[in-house]
Amino acid sequence: MIEQKGRDYLHRYEKNPIITLENIPFRCNTVFNCSPVKYKGEYLLLLRVEGQQGYSFFALARSKDGFHFSVDEQPVMLPAKQGPFAKYEVKGIEDPRITEYNGTYYILFTAVSAWGPRIEIAKTNDFNSFERIAFISEPGNKDGVLFPEKVNNRFVRLDRPIGKGIGSIWISYSDDLLHWGDHRVLISPRPGMWDSYRVGASVPPIKTAKGWLEIYHGVKMTSTGPIYKIGSALLDPEEPAKLIARCDEPLLAPREFYERIGDVNNVVFACGAIIEPDGEIKIYYGAADTCICVATAQFEDILKRKLEC
Amino acid sequence: MPKSIKTDIIHRSEHNPVIDFADIPFGCINLYNAGCIKKNGKYMLLCTIEHLDGTTEIFLAQGADGYRFKVSKEPFIIPRTDDPLYEYKTMGVLDARITCLEDMYYIVYLSESKHGVLLNLARTEDFTAAEKLGIISQPDTKAGALFPRKINGKYARLDRPNTGGSIWISYSHDLRTWGESEVVLSPRDGYWDSNHIGCAAPPIETPQGWLVFYYGVKMTSGGTLTRIGTVILNKDNPAAPLVGRSNIPVLSPRELYERVGDISNIVFSCGAILEEDSSIKLYYGTSNNCLYVGTTTLDEIIDTCLQSQKDF
Repeated sequence: MIEQKGRDYLHRYEKNPIITLENIPFRCNTVFNCSPVKYKGEYLLLLRVEGQQGYSFFALARSKDGFHFSVDEQPVMLPAKQGPFAKYEVKGIEDPRITEYNGTYYILFTAVSAWGPRIEIAKTNDFNSFERIAFISEPGNKDGVLFPEKVNNRFVRLDRPIGKGIGSIWISYSDDLLHWGDHRVLISPRPGMWDSYRVGASVPPIKTAKGWLEIYHGVKMTSTGPIYKIGSALLDPEEPAKLIARCDEPLLAPREFYERIGDVNNVVFACGAIIEPDGEIKIYYGAADTCICVATAQFEDILKRKLEC
Repeated sequence: MPKSIKTDIIHRSEHNPVIDFADIPFGCINLYNAGCIKKNGKYMLLCTIEHLDGTTEIFLAQGADGYRFKVSKEPFIIPRTDDPLYEYKTMGVLDARITCLEDMYYIVYLSESKHGVLLNLARTEDFTAAEKLGIISQPDTKAGALFPRKINGKYARLDRPNTGGSIWISYSHDLRTWGESEVVLSPRDGYWDSNHIGCAAPPIETPQGWLVFYYGVKMTSGGTLTRIGTVILNKDNPAAPLVGRSNIPVLSPRELYERVGDISNIVFSCGAILEEDSSIKLYYGTSNNCLYVGTTTLDEIIDTCLQSQKDF
């Protein structure tokens, strides 16, 4: 029996939000979508910070317990001003997602320019220096997440191409992380439901005995704008292009004031999660494009809940 | 006798139309957008035909002189329900662009479904059957065309992601996975190609660089106005600063058959043939859904690209 506390499957940390503008040691507009990783006994959060100019960049926050963070004095990644990456980062870099593969931390993020958003990949081994590798999509694409291991000997990613079409999550494959193909549609919006307008990958897929758990975001459009919620789906362990289960209900929906009121109202948006040795999952999420929060659950419960639906 | 129009650099052939509805051996709504290639002196066209039910398929038409064609009864590329990728082709396949590459004929074509429109690749040795090689782009990508040879050791293609409306280049080692995408050519504010553009004919190698016929769209209060222009891209790096771009379109809708039809005011091409005498045949579809050919010379087109700075 799953004990449900409150209205959502995830339990909000009682001292949310855990990072706001007040915690950033330099002037900026907001801090929101972030990717967590446990590194050398510390919790690190790679933060998307929106500067007052309006474009975004990345900063790093550190914590001993995963709840109390301090933010480094200087940003760690700014839009490139010169070189081959500058042209496509003119309007900023957004929504980092970290995946560890073979001891290296790969970061997929969105580069924004007049040509539109496209997915870029960078890497780091120490969270000190970050090396850009390549752009891995054409424009009109965001929400890229890399699987933490190869499947059938190929790298796999999810993303959300959007042009004039509908916002579905797609899967692609690569031998070298640079050239991608075999694109297939994976998760589409469901008419009439909480994710009826758009969906996108959020947390890099988590390997479980039953398959790959993808915690994604779903959007419903209303007459006053979009509502962003967090949902879950399960992909086949051998053939992740096959969706084997998808929860009808969101794991988390905007309810608290800090999720309802901000630069973009009614948004909870995750870019990463940490699973503790005791089976607890911590999902870090941006709220209302204005602050950072954390919510927890027993990972097993999420899996069970999902499959019951 | 067709009236002579001197305004356009592409000259409308007196043999037009090269494929009329009377030439199609079955009922259909539209014929448009043919890719073309010359194989052993024979002209091969892959035409998009819209059936009466609204779905599209690709048909082969063959001709000996480039002006008269026989359309096959049987389709060349169709969405098949037993195709594992059928889900992406439910509304049809269209806009084939042919490139001769390493002694094979490669065809980049679009498939359309509720998931959007995306690029597929097929190849053939002799145009008797097409071997499908799968999906090569993400959705909302159109106007794909392969370069006829590798550039710096890699296969290269042009395409047009809908976002931004620009022409992009991507590279591949295996024709299956693609990356290193760069923007090549963008719409120009205030020009005839101000709204969005896309590759029309696959790149043709010339001493000056890669010659690309592209289509440019201007948005008017009455809808789109689609014309054809030309650009020369750097031979070793097509995303490098342009060698030359025509300020003016080389073909614009003017004749009744280019103005009136299901889609008004459109000339749209998927292929051009450079002849041994340096003349060029550009095959194009129009508003009234027959297929036409326009002719010009390589010199004239190159001059247009390189010296197109005139005010009128």
